[in-house]
Amino acid sequence: MGKPKNKNGESLSPSEAILESISDGVFTVDLNWCITSFNRAAEDITGVSRKEAIGRQCSEVFRSSMCGDTCSLQQTVKTGRPVIGKSGYIISSDGKRIPISISTAELRNADGCLVGAAETFRDLSEVELLRSELQGKFQVGELTSRSHLMLRVFEVLPAIASSPSTVLILGETGTGKELMARTIHTLSHRKRGPFIAVNCGALPDTLLESELFGYKAGAFTGANKNKPGRFALAKGGTLFLDEIGEVSPAFQIKLLRILQERTYEPLGATDSEIADVRVIVATNKDLSLQMQNGLFREDLYYRVNVVRVELPPLRRRKEDIPLLVDQFIQRFNRLQQRSVQGITSEALSLLMAHDWPGNIRELENAVEYAFILCNSGQIGPSHLPEYFNAHKKAAGSGPDIQSAHNALDVQSIYVALKNNSFNRLAAAKELGIHKTTLFRRMKKLNISLPTMDGRSTLP
Amino acid sequence: MKTAFTYWNKRISPVFDTARRIKIIESESGRVVHESLETMESDLPVQKTFRLTELGVDTLVCGAVSKSLHEMLSAHGIRVISFVAGDLQEVIQAWLNGDLEQQVAFTMPGCTRRAA
Repeated sequence: MGKPKNKNGESLSPSEAILESISDGVFTVDLNWCITSFNRAAEDITGVSRKEAIGRQCSEVFRSSMCGDTCSLQQTVKTGRPVIGKSGYIISSDGKRIPISISTAELRNADGCLVGAAETFRDLSEVELLRSELQGKFQVGELTSRSHLMLRVFEVLPAIASSPSTVLILGETGTGKELMARTIHTLSHRKRGPFIAVNCGALPDTLLESELFGYKAGAFTGANKNKPGRFALAKGGTLFLDEIGEVSPAFQIKLLRILQERTYEPLGATDSEIADVRVIVATNKDLSLQMQNGLFREDLYYRVNVVRVELPPLRRRKEDIPLLVDQFIQRFNRLQQRSVQGITSEALSLLMAHDWPGNIRELENAVEYAFILCNSGQIGPSHLPEYFNAHKKAAGSGPDIQSAHNALDVQSIYVALKNNSFNRLAAAKELGIHKTTLFRRMKKLNISLPTMDGRSTLP
Repeated sequence: MKTAFTYWNKRISPVFDTARRIKIIESESGRVVHESLETMESDLPVQKTFRLTELGVDTLVCGAVSKSLHEMLSAHGIRVISFVAGDLQEVIQAWLNGDLEQQVAFTMPGCTRRAA
């Protein structure tokens, strides 16, 4: 058997051959922090060739979040102690953050003199991906969910993003309509262009017109110079029109024209301008009902209702509450320099039992409120806003996990019954339990049915 | 024109996302008219961006930078010259001479093209 060789055909010693064959990146530095060796995996993970790396400062080759004041190699050389399994990220030449873990050790020569240090590092991208999958999370861009209702939305998002059609996002207030619009933008080929959001409900017609279309100097008193509108600012990108249901019927005609003809005239302009934008609209109103009541134009309804994304309210995706609470805790810890470790199961049960009319925004506010009262440790029931504990106090007992679970059960069963026109078999199916279990629970929790029992509505 | 250079150990700091120290150079026609040392207290992208806009920085010269942070800086009108490596004074001199972006010696290894 011949001597092992590297990819350039050079002969390798047995230890070099091992270093070349492993999947962990390995490099060594001298006492001036210049790289003296760089294995094949290090080349693959960093995207820097050995030729370019040797002789350069390790921090400029490795570019990790740990380079600088918290350098583990310097720490090891200073203390003589190895660092094992420290996590961070490196930045690739295309600006991607690659999660890694590193370990370091001293390097001494045959005489025992310190000659430098060695660092091994592992690409954790796949581990992070697997961790997400193990947690049962579905993720698209910044949107994360465990709910199957959201999974259905996530599945069609790439196709929606790649089409140029107008998108209508429907959802109650606080369900994340703008975040969804932003995600569609970042998944689309217009992602390098701007994302401009306008709340149509916040402005009267005249202001909305100049805001969206802009104006030319002299168009009206005080218009001293040209002002580009949001359609012009969003050129090459995406324009998000929130609360489209609030727009007056008179302004709806102008919107219809721009969506149909893709041209518009700034106030005071003589020529039309081309609207090179992808339009995403959103509303928390029932547009078809508004159309029937004559508040929303039929032609505009059919123009915006080309592709439609419906965001479920939080009460229909309660399995996401633990995940969202966890995200908010992490975010507030980061923003407020705090170390809240999580939420107790009692407090989480109270959150799960709540109806969330304000959806995710309300949940975020509840967690932010808890941060005021909870400095460290875990968020408990006493840290939550008053109304979560109100019904317990009225009953004369403190919040306990059993009563929270019961409240949650009552609510889930009632929603399932209501969704299925009080057909108990269909409700049991939706809840994933046997009908006799449903009857038993209903009896235990004292849930009564309306006079109609829905048996005749079973499909 | 105000230019910010992030530094660590008298060199351009390797990663802007975690950099804390900046040297601000105010120049006119390649001549330094004022310079100061500043800090960035937070690693949050938005805080870093606000700090630079608060300091009135037009151009940022830095080491590696993540794409999202780069985009946020650009969106706030800051020109970013990233993946720069080398001695701080030499980089500043090359910038004042107008040939920083042409000199390969100031480019990080593995980055043949600097992000625009």
